Amino acid sequence: MQAAATKPAFLLTALLLATVHGAFADPLWQDELNWLKTMAFATHHTDYSGIFLYQYGNHVEISRITHIVDRDGEHSRLESMDGSRREIIRNNNKELCCPGDNKVKAIESQDIRTFPALLPEQLLLLNENYLIKKMEEERVAGFHAHAIIFQPKDNLRYTHKMWAHGDSGLLLKAEMLDERGRVIERNTFLQLTIGGNIDRSWIVVDKPDAASLAHQAPHDRLHKAEPLTNAGGWQVDMLPAGFRKVTEMRRPLRGKKSPVIQMVFSDGLASISVFIEAMDNDQDDHPGLSSQGAMQVYSKVTGDNLVTVVGEVPPRTVMQVADSVRYGGQ
Amino acid sequence: MKQQISVLMDGELFDDEAEALLDKLKRNPAVCEEWQAYHLIGDVLRQPGHACCDIGAAMRERLQAEPTVLAPRAQASRNARWFALSAAASVMALTLVAWMSVQVGSEPPPQVAMQQPTALRPASFSGNKGLNNYLMAHQEFSPSADMQGATSYMRTVAGQ
Repeated sequence: MQAAATKPAFLLTALLLATVHGAFADPLWQDELNWLKTMAFATHHTDYSGIFLYQYGNHVEISRITHIVDRDGEHSRLESMDGSRREIIRNNNKELCCPGDNKVKAIESQDIRTFPALLPEQLLLLNENYLIKKMEEERVAGFHAHAIIFQPKDNLRYTHKMWAHGDSGLLLKAEMLDERGRVIERNTFLQLTIGGNIDRSWIVVDKPDAASLAHQAPHDRLHKAEPLTNAGGWQVDMLPAGFRKVTEMRRPLRGKKSPVIQMVFSDGLASISVFIEAMDNDQDDHPGLSSQGAMQVYSKVTGDNLVTVVGEVPPRTVMQVADSVRYGGQ
Repeated sequence: MKQQISVLMDGELFDDEAEALLDKLKRNPAVCEEWQAYHLIGDVLRQPGHACCDIGAAMRERLQAEPTVLAPRAQASRNARWFALSAAASVMALTLVAWMSVQVGSEPPPQVAMQQPTALRPASFSGNKGLNNYLMAHQEFSPSADMQGATSYMRTVAGQ
């Protein structure tokens, strides 16, 4: 069933790749790129529904996730199954968010698409920064899964373990481990249906009444992010080896009166954002380190500015990066 | 001898005793092998998945003959690179749930698994709207999230 569904995806991807082939001369390199694109494509074109567990420390959260593709595009739904009720439905770029009170809220998404152009770069970075090894194949959520481990070459990033469905490539389980091999974050399907008869009754197809019921997006969300060059004169001196700048911009940020500078760095798997903003006394700032699972946030005041570093990297890494941010002039 | 090796591994041997033993290790291949075996046992107990990665070929052969080895060899792989890519390519559900957890955020601060044995004790940002906003802005550009087209989730849904 699913094999039949993904076959056109493979063909289409092959066609797409043939058109960009000239840009990447190294054949080995091209092979990896092919696989990456094929998988990214296939994942967007797989129907699935399952129960999902997200765990960090002694915190556990269980949700139901459904993803459907039809001729109108992609539809996804996420429902929390414990704690406060929360449901998110997405139809292509329109999202409906239903908190506990069942008020439906629609928010149009902005069209920022920065990553596709970066894919070859990401792959190169992965090989530079991690030892990539296959592990034993395992069963996850009743499916046969290929398993792989990305072991960092230094202690400034986490080890990533992933298990993917052998046929569809869908990720079934993922863990992040610290340098001592302890799991600090785990995501896994407990039960999963791929393809077949999946409930579609929740799919809302652009109903005008839904839009009129919906709250309008706050005004500041309409402002677009502006691309920056040279990060307005800000520099980060102590990035871990292998992190490259992915993008930089001046952007609106919810809860902030004026736009902030955001620089994003990635080593192909993990990413680090550096936010810089002018100090504003009445804002809700929290200097210091905060943590959830593998995600760290570290804020510090640098002169008249607040520097905030966010990333799925160890605490020492966000702190090292934040401490090395300086203004070098335009 | 075995007991001495074990004590040395636990770091409980006095300096002079340890030196004498290490000297023996260097000279006597049999003792040296024993020393490696003890380490392997420790490795297997701590991390069953990685035990066969770093040992010498001779040791591996010997272990294969023994019934107690906990790590069967990996089966013939299809394509490791394929796998790496597909894995990186399918984190949609994962990031979604992580994001949602941040949004819900009504739980008491969880115990955070520490990465290093220092006095570092990060706060949880569960339920902290200010930090959530940074987190969502960050996840827009996470490589794994983008592969999934899930970035819009992170960036557009209001944190209520």
